[in-house]
Amino acid sequence: MIEQLALVKNVVKRNFQRDSVQLLRLSEEAKKIHGVRDAALVMGTVTNKEILTKLGLLTDEGRAATSSDMLLAVMADSKQETDDGLREIEQMLLRPPTAKARSYYSVEAAMQAMPGANLAIVSIPGEHAKDIVLKLLDLGVSVLLFSDHISPEVELELKQSAKTKGLLVMGPGAGTSIIGGKAIGFANVLRKGKVGIVAAAGTGLQEVSVLLSEAGLGISAGLGTGGGDVKTKIGGLMTLQSIDALERDPETDTVVVVSKPPDNDVEQRILDHIVNKTKKHYVTCFLGPESYDVPPTVRFRVKGTKTLHAAFYETALTAAPQLKAQTLRRFMLSRDELISIANSAASELKKSQRYIRGLYTGGTLEYETLIILRRLIGQVYSNAPLEPGLKLPDSYLSMKDSIIDLGEEEFTAGRAHPMIDPTIRKMRFVEEAKDPEVAVILMDIMLGYGSHPDPAGAMLGTIEEAKKIAESDGRVLPILAHVCGTEQDPQPRSEQEAKLKHAGVHVLPTNALMAIAGVLVSRRNAVDEDALNDVYANFLGSF
Amino acid sequence: MAENILKLFTSELKVINIGLEIFRDALDAQGVDVAQVSWQAPPKLEKEYEDILSKIL
Repeated sequence: MIEQLALVKNVVKRNFQRDSVQLLRLSEEAKKIHGVRDAALVMGTVTNKEILTKLGLLTDEGRAATSSDMLLAVMADSKQETDDGLREIEQMLLRPPTAKARSYYSVEAAMQAMPGANLAIVSIPGEHAKDIVLKLLDLGVSVLLFSDHISPEVELELKQSAKTKGLLVMGPGAGTSIIGGKAIGFANVLRKGKVGIVAAAGTGLQEVSVLLSEAGLGISAGLGTGGGDVKTKIGGLMTLQSIDALERDPETDTVVVVSKPPDNDVEQRILDHIVNKTKKHYVTCFLGPESYDVPPTVRFRVKGTKTLHAAFYETALTAAPQLKAQTLRRFMLSRDELISIANSAASELKKSQRYIRGLYTGGTLEYETLIILRRLIGQVYSNAPLEPGLKLPDSYLSMKDSIIDLGEEEFTAGRAHPMIDPTIRKMRFVEEAKDPEVAVILMDIMLGYGSHPDPAGAMLGTIEEAKKIAESDGRVLPILAHVCGTEQDPQPRSEQEAKLKHAGVHVLPTNALMAIAGVLVSRRNAVDEDALNDVYANFLGSF
Repeated sequence: MAENILKLFTSELKVINIGLEIFRDALDAQGVDVAQVSWQAPPKLEKEYEDILSKIL
């Protein structure tokens, strides 16, 4: 039977905007229109046009769209169905948004309607954010600033204002906080408890807080500061402000500080502050191979760790020394256990299958994986590498061992983050499956508020497709996953894990263990013994 | 200077959400009091209109 050729049509609506999550929802709705095979509503950014090209949804007309234009794309079997589909999409856009209570057209109106407002989330385009944040700070409101594309100069101005007023500016680029037991932005449903977390790394905050909560400890507060906070220009202003607050918070006994490696002077400033100006227990995690020397006088209460896994483990031991080893056992698989998993996963690999590929939605988890892989196998390529020389020439094309952060700008400009919209990872997954050199694929599944309502379920069709592609080429394709979430999340962890296991995916309890297992699979357990011992001794915490 | 932040930890959250509605929906689902600001980017004018306006104003 000859398959009928589909017709694709684009319409460009000039200077017409909706936010990326609304567009994602409308796209899902448009795909369900009768007669429509595929559809997309996106802003006309370069990234979006590249993705539409790969999906076969871009025409010459659509190619002319700019980032301030909305691009409608429809694929159907006939001209009639294409036109009908587009007409229906246009109607969808005319439909007024569902009226929800408490919706206002200005910050002033919202403040008037909500006296005593104490927190704001700002996620408008960065170039418009400064004045609004300054206004909020003047009104005594702390801000979670999700927007990015804000210059260091503006960030400094906002944070200096916040510092003077004793408030917080969490961000720019901060998407995760936990305040008053509530998940703010991309965050999980956690037990309440005595551990406070300060993080310049959003998914790092999620991983540590989730593991602590799942181990039975609880979180008093989790404050995201945005990655820029630990750069020299900002000097850790909000990290220090947050540490001071948690130091005085009667509900907090232990404080965890998580960040990708800060600039040297800022790292020293944070450490000096912890050593000289605090009294509580601290665990720091600057995600680096080097650990600093904690002065002997404070070693009883300050510990440095190299990974999120170690930060979790050391915090658990510090904050709950009575915690039974059995409780932590679930999060700490031994070398032999990982080797056994790898043996079963790698048993049918072909000789050509030599490399590890990671497709991450969580940037800090991706970074943690790079740290561990560097110790175990050396050079690993990435679009967000540890060293400039290891940057992939084309982020869309893996080579040798490659770990990809799909939340980076080149994948997200004008799109919803891959934690919400799985499209970009699904496409990449299929590409990796076609590569006969791929031995194993790693992926994170981020749960919690803000994330996709069923992130594991959204990948199942792609996992099946990937395995079939490999099978048709006479290969098997081992897939490892780590589900970062709690049982209390809107997407319960055990249900998400069960879906993956049912699809033949090996599920690991922490990202760090997934990274080690991935190496063992791709190398058929032939990993330098000293390096593996070192990772177990120094990268996972003292156990 | 940490008083305001400590107050934030212990007070009932009252949140103003400016931008992505997904954050409002997440707070709604947790029973947090939230007011949404439906922010729109200032319209971009065509260059020729901008030039005319700048001459008039």
